Amino acid sequence: MARSLNPRVLAGRIAVASVFLGGWEAGARFGWLDPFFFSRPSAVVARVWLQLSQGTVWPHLGVTVVEAALSFLLGSVAGIAAGFVLGRSRLLGDIFGPYIQIANSLPRVVLAPIFLLWFGLGIWSKVALGVTVVFFIVFFNTLKGVREVNPVLLDNARMLGASERQLVRHVLLPSALAWIFSSLEISVGMSIIAAVVGEYLGSTQGIGYLIAQAEGVFDTTGVFAGMVFLAAFVLIVAAAVGRVERRLLHWRPRPAEASNV
Amino acid sequence: MPAALQFSSVSKRYDSGYEAIERISFTVAARRFVSIVGPSGCGKSTVLNLAAGLLSASAGEVESFGEPLAGLNRRAAYLFQQDALLPWKSVLENAQLGLELRGMAHDAAHDWLRRVGLQAFATRYPHELSGGMRKRVALAQCLAVQPDLLLMDEPFSALDIHTRLRMEQELLDWVGAAGTTVLFITHDLEEAIALSDEVLVLSAGPRSHLVGRYEIDLPRPRPLLDLKTEPRFAEIYKSIWHDLRGEVVKALGGDHQGGPAHG
Ligand SMILES: Nc1ncnc2c1ncn2[C@@H]1O[C@H](COP(=O)(O)OP(=O)(O)OP(=O)(O)O)[C@@H](O)[C@H]1O
Ligand SMILES: [Mg+2]
Repeated sequence: MARSLNPRVLAGRIAVASVFLGGWEAGARFGWLDPFFFSRPSAVVARVWLQLSQGTVWPHLGVTVVEAALSFLLGSVAGIAAGFVLGRSRLLGDIFGPYIQIANSLPRVVLAPIFLLWFGLGIWSKVALGVTVVFFIVFFNTLKGVREVNPVLLDNARMLGASERQLVRHVLLPSALAWIFSSLEISVGMSIIAAVVGEYLGSTQGIGYLIAQAEGVFDTTGVFAGMVFLAAFVLIVAAAVGRVERRLLHWRPRPAEASNV
Repeated sequence: MPAALQFSSVSKRYDSGYEAIERISFTVAARRFVSIVGPSGCGKSTVLNLAAGLLSASAGEVESFGEPLAGLNRRAAYLFQQDALLPWKSVLENAQLGLELRGMAHDAAHDWLRRVGLQAFATRYPHELSGGMRKRVALAQCLAVQPDLLLMDEPFSALDIHTRLRMEQELLDWVGAAGTTVLFITHDLEEAIALSDEVLVLSAGPRSHLVGRYEIDLPRPRPLLDLKTEPRFAEIYKSIWHDLRGEVVKALGGDHQGGPAHG
């Protein structure tokens, strides 16, 4: 079920990009913007192309992808599991609730140096950082999804003979899935951001490392080129998550007019 | 043979402090069709939830087939007043749910879908059905597990009069053939009389209690189409309505006991 894009929306998007990039390019060429600080879109494109064709960017992109993927997977599996357990057990929920709130209120950036000390300069310090971000997003959404299940659906399934495991499989999981997916979409972006921030603060590889290097020599073009790679990566992964979501939630009534923002 | 259901002085007080029913006693013998009528909010669904084991009594005892109920009533199927189909399962998957959960063969579900007239909708999802169609799927879901006791909470109130008559007739035929015991809730006195062996009348809440018990001696099998024009039907209706009317007047605000009693 491919959603065809409204041509007016498409035209509008192209117009926005043209005005933005065109203005930026013109500003740099005619001296309103200092190219040293702002670079220019054409230079950024050239740099992206150069890095792609020379192949220098791939190992770095690969490292970032692995870090983001690991933190996404570990964080979301742990978040879903914890959300189900605490959502189903009032007692455990009441015991762990405040501790989870406390842990969630820690700013992640201050954790990054600690993880560097604990896990070293390699990928695991970045994965740890990403997990602390993803876990809480997915956990809170799963918890809400599990707690908001229609009690009549649960009673009906139990009357029909469902065990606790069958309740999870047939009622709780599908019911919480809409909540879980909305958190996964956010988590994809957050896991990548966490990986890049971790690399930026201390690493020897990765897109964050490239950006930090470029900044170190005031190479604004290099910084923007790094951002282009990140943006492309995030768009691809988010589209993939959206596809999986539409497949798994195919039973839902189609929203009357879905906005794409 | 022990009674399918036995309520002995059962009271239910909700956590909010609201005393829904008080000292209700009745027996539903096996293979009987018993209806409960009463004004809205009097505690009919409460009684059914107690019989299902979804609620526990605050006082008194509920027995089912000779054993005190502890936890869910495993021999009962429950057709809920609210929508209870799983929105993420198709009509057929919903009809099969009980069989699947119990690890039984699924084939019977097809048959039940056909009997409720929905085999053409097997692959649809609940949101694509009308309210009455959803009720029929839920009915197929309950009957597919072949329960000994069928608890039904206003199952036909969402149906148009033709479908309703057809479903009522089919229900009578099925439970008659299978020997199922039925505890049936309705706010429609005519429906209660037409279907039942016995009609119980609940008083208006709070602290609702049984105000009447009527044996319906209309012969079976009952062709529902012509039943309501029979003189005996009208006689029974009149005598029950006399009692029910008083309760309806109370429920409509004839006195001021209608509000929830928090305490
Ligand atoms: N969980 C609950 N907590 C507190 N009060 C409740 C609860 N459930 C029901 N009640 C109250 O108990 C009374 C009986 O409710 P019940 O659902 O049994 O009525 P009913 O006879 O089935 O009504 P209707 O015909 O409208 O379905 C109502 O006054 C209701 O407000
Ligand atoms: Mg009710």
